[in-house]
Amino acid sequence: MLTVENLHVRYGQIEVLHGVSLQVGESEVVAVLGANGAGKSTLIKTLIGWLKPVQGECKLNHEPLDPLPAWERVKRGLAIVPESGRLFRDLSVEDNLRLGAYLHRDEDIRKRMEVVFNLFPALAERKKQIAKTLSGGEQQMLAIGRAMMSNPRLLLIDEVSMGLMPILVKRVFKVIEELPQHGVSVLLVEQNAFEALKIVHRAYVLENGHIVLEGKPQELTDNPLVKAAYLGG
Amino acid sequence: MLLLQNLSNALILACTYILMAAGLTMVYGVLKVLHIAHASVYTVGAFVGVLVFSWLGNFWLALAIAMLVSGIFGVLIYRSTYFYLLNAPRTVPLIASVGMFVMFTDLLQKPFLMGAYQRAFPAGGAGLSAIKTALFSFTAKQVLILLVTLILLVLVYIILTRTKLGLSWQAASMDREMASAVGINLNRSIAANFFLGSALAGAAGVLVGVYNNSVFATMGDLPSYKAFIIIVLGGMGSLPGAILASLILAIVENFLVASVGYVLPRDSIAFLVLILMLMFRPNGLLGRE
Repeated sequence: MLTVENLHVRYGQIEVLHGVSLQVGESEVVAVLGANGAGKSTLIKTLIGWLKPVQGECKLNHEPLDPLPAWERVKRGLAIVPESGRLFRDLSVEDNLRLGAYLHRDEDIRKRMEVVFNLFPALAERKKQIAKTLSGGEQQMLAIGRAMMSNPRLLLIDEVSMGLMPILVKRVFKVIEELPQHGVSVLLVEQNAFEALKIVHRAYVLENGHIVLEGKPQELTDNPLVKAAYLGG
Repeated sequence: MLLLQNLSNALILACTYILMAAGLTMVYGVLKVLHIAHASVYTVGAFVGVLVFSWLGNFWLALAIAMLVSGIFGVLIYRSTYFYLLNAPRTVPLIASVGMFVMFTDLLQKPFLMGAYQRAFPAGGAGLSAIKTALFSFTAKQVLILLVTLILLVLVYIILTRTKLGLSWQAASMDREMASAVGINLNRSIAANFFLGSALAGAAGVLVGVYNNSVFATMGDLPSYKAFIIIVLGGMGSLPGAILASLILAIVENFLVASVGYVLPRDSIAFLVLILMLMFRPNGLLGRE
């Protein structure tokens, strides 16, 4: 469903991604693993349209994404859970969710909200609460819920585990694992390779802007390089 | 009795401040640009209002057309200038807006536009009647200002709190990039924001023109900095703050002049209040941290 071909992206003067290629298939959960500064966030930001590539191509269902601004990518089925959530902090949980479905009609919004509340019952109890007053875990859930509101085909998730307690990481990843059942494919970038590899179908390893490895979780966990660099020996 | 009459006079003054500052604070909220040229929109609104009124003799039609033209003028300002400066450092659009304000004021003074003289705007109370009670009274003109301001504020309140458009402005004011990534077409949303804010400034221009029975090319000079002071006082980007600050400033101005007399120019009071505010509460009355 998503194809990225030879993607070069510059951040200011420095080229961060040097020819990245990858695919995400229908109903697939794919991780891009890598250390801090490997270019993971740059990849996500380019896919949603916040950064423009200098070279290469991104296609969603065979349609080129590159000329489209972010909002039109959302229209075509992309949604993002950005790093640290980036909620609309002074708005209520309900308004954040409503904004997530900005391109949908009001009847759809009510239905989608039910779906999200089923996924995260804690949010239903806090409908009227202001986003910035939620706990860290709840904020992360709201960020995922907001992205789910647009009924996306492909969800881009940037470091969702960062700053979360281990028990919450497991819960959030559990939700992500089940997203394909709702017809959603997932591309998540993660530092926490250990937890991510438990739930994905496939993963790539990104190092200094190059994809250096690709494979099924089992293959990667058995790989001595991955063990040494990402799984703590 | 004098107290109440002073309060009601202050209320009328506040109304004109509110309409002017509301648009400015809306624009600031979404773009984080101090849109000084907003005062040019106010002048253009008054000018269009007085022209249409002199052709058709109908105040309400003049007001509607003036607001429409002002709104379009505001959108043109956005699309021709700020649109290209969205990612520039914030001083760049600020300087551009000062430049535009000077340019428009000069342009409006040209003989083929407003010229260097004052025009009368004899719309009176537009058919409304004065209110007289034992305690306070409003002239027909004052009733007109009060009524138009109230209607427009209710309209703005509904758009801000009950529509997707209003929600998109709030989202954009908090995180523009993220707003685009939930599917908001920022260009359209910001243009609509400019349209509404500028239409309000146009209405303010018309109302002040009618109230003073005078419209002239440099009438935006004073409101340009006063509206700026009001949105700093209220807390940048906060509409309730701008309304509160307008009321406070109008009341302080009225009461100081009424009780102490003209110890200092009336319009300098706004600056004194601003300085005090910046010393003790730099985020404004209702500003966010």
